[in-house]
Amino acid sequence: MATETKPVAAEDPKVDLFEDDDEFEEFEFGEEWDDKEEGKETVQQWEDDWDDDDVNDDFSVQLKKELESSSEKS
Amino acid sequence: MAYLSMGEAHRRITDYLSRFSDAVSSQDAAVLSPLLAVSSNSASLQSLADALNVFQDSNRLVGQLERSSQLAEIVSPLLRCIQSYRLGRFADAYVVLEKAANAFLQEFRNWETPWAMEALYTLALEIRLLAEKADRELASSGKNPEKLQGAGSFLMRVFGALAGKGPKRAGALYVACQLFKVYFKLGTVHLCRSVIRSIETARIFDFEEFPVKDKVTYMYYTGRLEVYNENFLVADQKLTYALMHCSPRKEANKRMILKYLIPVKLSIGILPKQWLIEKYNLIEYGEVVNAIKKGDLRLLRQALREHEDRFLRSGVYLVLEKLELLVYQRLIKKIYVLQKQKDPSKAHQVKLEIIVKALKWLELDMDIDEVECIVAILIYKNLIKGYIAHKSKVVVLSKQDPFPKLNGKPIGS
Repeated sequence: MATETKPVAAEDPKVDLFEDDDEFEEFEFGEEWDDKEEGKETVQQWEDDWDDDDVNDDFSVQLKKELESSSEKS
Repeated sequence: MAYLSMGEAHRRITDYLSRFSDAVSSQDAAVLSPLLAVSSNSASLQSLADALNVFQDSNRLVGQLERSSQLAEIVSPLLRCIQSYRLGRFADAYVVLEKAANAFLQEFRNWETPWAMEALYTLALEIRLLAEKADRELASSGKNPEKLQGAGSFLMRVFGALAGKGPKRAGALYVACQLFKVYFKLGTVHLCRSVIRSIETARIFDFEEFPVKDKVTYMYYTGRLEVYNENFLVADQKLTYALMHCSPRKEANKRMILKYLIPVKLSIGILPKQWLIEKYNLIEYGEVVNAIKKGDLRLLRQALREHEDRFLRSGVYLVLEKLELLVYQRLIKKIYVLQKQKDPSKAHQVKLEIIVKALKWLELDMDIDEVECIVAILIYKNLIKGYIAHKSKVVVLSKQDPFPKLNGKPIGS
């Protein structure tokens, strides 16, 4: 889009109507595929058990230090 | 252009015309479709366009066609379209293509079987692509770009011709998807609604019977609409369908699906694995995910600021902004776990002062009243179970499940 020379008319809403950055690419006519294959991969794409009690990561260790030092002060 | 004799030009045009008329009389869509694919840059259409420049009176040849009256209405504007397109005059080309397409649609309605469906698909696609080119041309010369809107009206008529009962209905979803592309580009997505209603409420046709490529495209666009409407559960369902059934050869499409599916999943407490973000080069979500995992509010805000443009353009910024509550929850949970390690008996009492300190460490300057307000919201949204002891400025956490997980439900539902 950046290469296009459009008239300068920012107030005209029609000018920016030329874009949808995420326009789906056309599939070929008659294109078929085995859509069962993908199932397995899909399961391994996501995690829902991340919200654990682990506080050994850097962030938590830092947080701990911070809270301890501040509780000494107060 | 190489020299082209009048005789050769004549031959090319009559050749095209007879192929066209043969394809119609033998009902062969595979032959007919490429003859309509104006923007395909096929060598034969290019050489036809050259011939049309040399041989000006092509209408006389069209008149000699068998069944000429019906076909001439299609072919005669179509030839002018092919010629204008090759000359780069897209607005002119669009006007005549729409004429040809309307005449074709009229014929198509009269054909009892859907034999010409592929040809109709080709026209629907060409109309949209050419309208976009025409509008760019019109806008750059200071004229009103209105062809894509016109294409939308035409496609709506095509949709109307297909969406009823009968074997032609299988083609309705393809045209619906073309309409979505038009409406998303024009920013008139509310117009999708009547199309969706016609597809989803009809009892006469099972959605699963549509071709898979159209189902995937349809789920992508309707999924995006559900994201804008903040119906995250439906959005999740539709976009997940699109992702699972998308052609493995279309990585770019998978990436687009994930661009919307990831924020949807985040908002119901499900995180994408790191490899997924890397594989599809969606690194703008990497930091957001890390922020949620850690409870790092500063990181979340940084990530939103850094990629603000991108998130605003795709319309997911507001979805991501709401993740703050999830990150507050995570941070307070970390504080709670750390307290528990030190002194389990007092862990369920978290001083607001401590939260203020943690936020200050993250360079977020909030006073105790603001923090109390945030905690009240977390309790209200069921992200924290407990109550606030206002006088002593303490959050008293429930001993049972003080930080309920979303478990695939949206925040606050």
